[in-house]
This record gives sequence, C-alpha cells and structure tokens, in this order.
Amino acid sequence: MSSILEVRDLVKEFPGVEALQGVNLDVSAGEVHCLLGANGAGKSTLIKCISGAHEPTSGEILFMGEPLPVGDPAGSLKRGVATIYQELDLVDELTVAESIFLAHEPRRGPLLNFDQMHREANALLARLGHPAISARTKVRALRPAAKQIVSIARALSVDVRLLIMDEPSAILDEGEIETLFEVVRRLAADGVGVVYISHRLDEIRRIGNRVTVLADGRTTASGIPASTPTDDLIELMVGHKVEQLYPDRPTAADEVLLDVRGVRRLPAVRDASLELRAGEVLGLGGLVGSGRTELLRIIYGLDERDEGEILLDGAPLARSPSGAIAAGLGLAPEDRKSQALILDWSSAKNVTVASLRRFARPLLSIRGERTAAREQLRKLNTAPDDPDRIVRLLSGGNQQKVVLARWLLRDCRVLLLDEPTRGVDVRTKAELYRIITDLARAGVGVLVVSSELEELVGICTRILVMREGEIVAEIDGKTATEQELLRHAVAPTDSPDLEEEVV
Amino acid sequence: MTTSRAEPTGVSRSAGFVGRLKQLQFQEYALVVVVILLFVAGAILKPDTFPTWDNVRNMLTQASVIGVLAMGMTFVIATAGIDLSVGSMVAAAGMFGGVMLGDTGTSSLLFIVAALAFATALGTVNAISIAYGRVVPFIATLAMFSIARGIALLLNDKLPVSLLDLNGGNFGEPAVFSLLWFGTGRILGIPVSVYVFLAITVGAWVLLNRTRYGRHVVSVGGNREAARIAGVPVRRIIFSVYVLMGALAGVATVLLCARLGSASPVSGNLYELDAIGAVVIGGTSLAGGRASIVGTFLGVLTFALIFSLMTQLNLSTEVQQVTKGLIVLGAVLLQRPEARY
Repeated sequence: MSSILEVRDLVKEFPGVEALQGVNLDVSAGEVHCLLGANGAGKSTLIKCISGAHEPTSGEILFMGEPLPVGDPAGSLKRGVATIYQELDLVDELTVAESIFLAHEPRRGPLLNFDQMHREANALLARLGHPAISARTKVRALRPAAKQIVSIARALSVDVRLLIMDEPSAILDEGEIETLFEVVRRLAADGVGVVYISHRLDEIRRIGNRVTVLADGRTTASGIPASTPTDDLIELMVGHKVEQLYPDRPTAADEVLLDVRGVRRLPAVRDASLELRAGEVLGLGGLVGSGRTELLRIIYGLDERDEGEILLDGAPLARSPSGAIAAGLGLAPEDRKSQALILDWSSAKNVTVASLRRFARPLLSIRGERTAAREQLRKLNTAPDDPDRIVRLLSGGNQQKVVLARWLLRDCRVLLLDEPTRGVDVRTKAELYRIITDLARAGVGVLVVSSELEELVGICTRILVMREGEIVAEIDGKTATEQELLRHAVAPTDSPDLEEEVV
Repeated sequence: MTTSRAEPTGVSRSAGFVGRLKQLQFQEYALVVVVILLFVAGAILKPDTFPTWDNVRNMLTQASVIGVLAMGMTFVIATAGIDLSVGSMVAAAGMFGGVMLGDTGTSSLLFIVAALAFATALGTVNAISIAYGRVVPFIATLAMFSIARGIALLLNDKLPVSLLDLNGGNFGEPAVFSLLWFGTGRILGIPVSVYVFLAITVGAWVLLNRTRYGRHVVSVGGNREAARIAGVPVRRIIFSVYVLMGALAGVATVLLCARLGSASPVSGNLYELDAIGAVVIGGTSLAGGRASIVGTFLGVLTFALIFSLMTQLNLSTEVQQVTKGLIVLGAVLLQRPEARY
C-alpha cells in the first residue's frame, strides 16, 4: 500500500511548551490508522499541524510525497485533507446543508444553488446512515451526536484523501458508533487514509489497522498492529500499567436522598421515576436521545417540567439551579467547555464560583478563595498544581476535576454527572472513577449518565436504563453486563441486529 | 508566594495564567505609558498652556462625566452587553430635572433626585427589555437611544433649561452640596466632580473585583450557561447592570448640568461612544468575561488627554471625531482573540 501521509521528526513549540518533540507517523492509503495518547500527549497538536491550523517548528509533513502548505487549512482541505475536530466547530445559526458546504457552496452563477446543496447534503447524510437529519434544520437544534454527524458529512463533502477524526465516537452511542465505523470502513475501502483518534481502546481493535502511540509529545510506538494487546498499548500511553480501572463498588445506605416521581417533559422525558440513595452510584444508561440528559436538567431545575414531583429528603426541591444548589445538588454537565466552565478564568475562580458567599465578609477574600480551591483541586490530584492556571489550557480530565472540585467545595449531597469521563484518557478515567466512588462512600448520592456501557457496569451500584423518555429497566451493578444494558436501551425490534454487532 | 509546585510529567509550565494576567496588565501598563507620553507631548507642543494646573483641572472635570459613564459601561460590557443609550439618557435626565424645578425652583436636591431617578428609570426600561424581554442589548439600547433623546427634546419644547437660578442666577461661589458645587466647586483646589469620579471608580473597582456580585457579573459574560449551572442568577445580574448603568448616567447628568449651569436636550451627544471607547481601550473584552476598572480609568484619561491636546492644537471637532473612531477601532483590533492551541 502506498503511503499517503508521512510525518517525520515533527517538532512544535509554543511559548514555554514543547508540545511535540519529534513525532513520526506514516499513514497508508486505505488504512485506518489509530492515534493513541493520554490527554496532553500532543495528539491534538499533531493533527492541527497536519491540517494546517498550526505551523510546525521543525520537521516534515509529506502528503502524497509532497510537502503540505504550512499554516494554511484551506489549502490542505483543497488537497483532500479533511479534519473533524473534537470541539465541533459548527455555526449554530446555519442549516445543516449550509454547514456541510460552508466555504465551498455549490453555486449557480453568483447565487447559491440551494437545491443542489440540499440534495447533496441529504445524500451525504444518508451515506452516513443518518437520513433522519434534515438538511434544512438549524445546527442549533441538533444534539451533540447529530452535530458530529454533520461534521463528518462536511469532511466528506470535499474529495477527501486523508480524513483525520479527533475522538469522533466520544459523543456517540453504540448504535451510532457502529454506523460511523461502517462509514469509516467504506472510506478506507475506497482508498482514503483515515487517522482515527480515540480514548476507547476497544474501538481500536474494532476499526483500526495500525496504531501509533504518543506520550509526552513523542511517538512511543509508530505503526504497530492494532491487534497489540490492550495492556501493552496502555503501557505505551502512560508509561506504566494502570493498576485497576474500576474501584470496588460502593453500597447504598437505606436513606433515600433524591426521590423523582413521574417526571414528564415532552418530548424528551415521558415518565421517569427514580430513587437515589445516600452512598450509591446510580447509573443512567440508554442511547443518546433517550432523555437522560434532559432528566438531569429537570432535576437540577434548568428546565421546567410538565408533571411530576422531585423530592430531596422528602421535601420538594426548588425549581431553579440556584435553589437546587442551595439544597445540596451539584451538576457536572455533558459539555464541560460550553456548560460548566468559564474558560478564561483560573481554576480557582471556576471552583469557587458556586460558593462565593462563604468567602464574602462582605468583600471577597481572594486569598481564602485560592487556598480553599487549591485544597479541593489537590484532593483530586489536578495537574498542574496551580490554581491560577486558566482552565482553557487544562486537559479534558483536569477540566472535569475542576468542575468536581467546585461541588466538593460545597459539600454537596447529590451529584449529577453527565458523561463524566468523555474525552478523558484512561489513566484519568481511573482516577475519576475512584473519586466518584469515594464520594459515594462518603455518603453522597451520585447519579451518573454515561454512553459508555462498560463504565456503568464498572462503577455503578445500580443501573437504570432509559429508552424513549422512560426508565425501562433497573439492574444490579454487580450482575450487569453491557449486552444486557444495550438490550434494554434499544427498542425491541432493533435489538437482534445491534446485539450481534456488539458481541 | 512560596508555594511548591509538583511538576506533572510532560506538562511544562506555560505562560498560562501569568501570561493572561500579564496581557491584561500589559494593557494597563501600556496605557500608563500612553498617558505619560501624551502629557509629555502636550507639554512639548504647547508648553505655555498644556502642562498647567488649569488645563489639568479642566481635563479632569470634563473627563469625570465620561468617566462615570465608563464605569457603568464596564459592568455592562463585562456581561457581554452594550448600552448605546447613555448619552440620550443623560440629556433626558437633565431635562427632566430641569422641568421638575419649574420656573422658580431653587432646590438643588429636587433636581439631583429627579435626574437620578429618571435616568435610573430609563435604565430600568433597558434592563427589563433585555433581561426579561430577551431583546438583544444592542437593539434594546439603540431603541432607548432614540426614545430618551426624543423625551429630552419633548420635555421643554426642544429648549434648554437654565439651572443658574439654583445659584442666584450666576456661577459664583456655589454653596456646599448645591447643584453647581458639583460642577464648579473645589476641595483643596480639586474640582468636586473629580472627587465624585474617583469615588465611583474606587467603588466600581471594589464592586467588580471584591464582591460576589462583581464575580457574578463577569461570570455571566464569560459563559452564561456555565454561570447558570453554577447557580448564578443570570437574569437578575443582567437586569442589574443596566439599572446600574442608568443610575450612573444620572450621576453623570448631575455633573454635566452642574458644570454647564443648564440642562440641554442636545447634550450628551455620542457620549456612549466615548464611554465604550474608554472601556475598550482599557482592555475589557467586548465578548465579556474579562473586565478591568483600572483599564477603564486609564482609558478615560487617555481620551481626555488626546482631546485636550487636539483642542489646543486647534484641530477641529471633526478631526477629533475621526481620531476618536480610529482609536476605538485600533483598540478593538489589538484585542482580537489570540490563536488558541
């Protein structure tokens, strides 16, 4: 197979940071080449160098034997290098079709050819297995998973030779991931080279041909077979073996903290009841769009409910986030960057923002804030150990720790976690699982929404499964299996297909 | 600052927060230099008239009106909002106060209370339409820009109201706490209006940097959804900054009318541009989430110096207007978001 992309001794320095210190990568036409590495290892920097968003300090990037123009994303795209970034860079106000063809819109004379645009957009979405997404919908109205599909369609709308995907599966559910893999396989069969970045090691065997591993800005393995044992891959990524991914499961106390009765908010949540006990990690599984996130938002007071009751310690819970927080709730939302953090603020300020009253006497004690924030951040082993660091510059896992530290500082009693380990590397995941479990042991009731079935099975005391806005199953965490969860999560008619693919 | 820092593997310390801090402070330091340079330039170009106590006093007095507005504007912009109506509100509040006095009114307190109340009321209208009517701040305040100016013109049939009756018909020796005292009175040789401006600056700094309220204001501009999820009463905060802006427009009205000895329906023209300009060159982000009272203060001084200098060099107001616009444009260009990595 001919080499489509060659990266030789690539170095990229930012002021004060050597993000890449000699990276080699070799991608053949028609292969799916997985790129592995812990957060901060330099994966994102590498792909930004390839796509032209960053200008490398030194080293070579050859695309089909020729150097790519440096620092020129449009030029790279024109040559057939398409990149789908982790942060979905779509414009909310555009329609799906407009987003897909942004900057290369089909035209009829000087005017946009909307017919052609919609037709081709629909064709691309159908090819991706998502004909249900309307080309005329505004991006704003789409859920993250659907936005991902639109991003992929956008990459496919040019004649792509090299497709770089930065954690495309992070926000997709099992069914959608399989559809995505189908598309990736088809593209590879057409001779496209695919660089696939994921934290989910199981995916690498499912989709990849070869693997390149990055650690601390260097390649620790380049082009090794995707069949390399998981333990070896993890070792290459983190430099040491992860002792135990999942800690022992906490057990629930008798005391019911949160009692959700018959909550309804159409169309997402039709009828949801649950009891969250002190000291347990309660999982909430289901497909993307089954109403899990919406249910959390209703509990937290972010969205109104049509019907139903929510009690905390037997008393009705206030219907606003500030009321919920005052009563002892905390939420770590699905999208850390857009919903949880003020990215231009320091970690310390992000931690204390929900507890400012305690530092106001009546003027804020900045030193007191900083000290308290650092104490919580240290408990969670946040790196770097610097409460003044701007959170934008932290890795995803550490950003999540900042969010958790915020609620630790408040001693909250009920913690709602929405996809707590999304975009987080294996080592940090293990840390987060331990944190979550420790919190439960300390008597906190933790409600975890996750699309990673393995994680639910790994850490939860009990698992509830949502389907189409209803809670359809309750499973004991000790005996739960991923297959069982998935069987409940998908509608009965679809289940045989999906089960086969997963097993 | 002797904290030990564990150095996590592979993460070298970047410019990070320090860089950010320096960047913000850089703009402040740079402005200090600009202010000094402008003063030196003035002293060289007009050695007889520029570096004089009289001129400095004059500049500061004039700057105090814009300065008070700019402090309010800093809060508004910190929430990623904007208020285009401040100049019109100043005119309307002044006219309202003047009309309330009637023909023979001699109560400074009545004028001051009326002007403050009216400006605050107009600000509250902005606040309601933006926070509860969910009108975009640009449009809501653009509407108020027109409404308040119209009210100012309507109140006394387009005619100004003289306020000199409050002081026996002339500018001489105003009594302490009378209206004109705020415009022409002095304490230790420094105009009262300058004290008012400085007091409001200090108050604004404390409010923004050392109170829960100030932190909430900046959080709303930094990331509204995240602020809401962190329990910040977002709508109330947004409401409050426009009310605050109105109240400060009232203060600016008092200072302006006190200095001029009259209320005019055409006063305050384009004051919003001066106030926004001072805030922006001071380093407060128009996108919200980053605000600097010190920067705004220095921005106000920079503007005051430039215009005093240009006036003394006999440059026409038209030239001054072009310059003003160019400075604001330049400041925004300098503020472009840096490339992320």
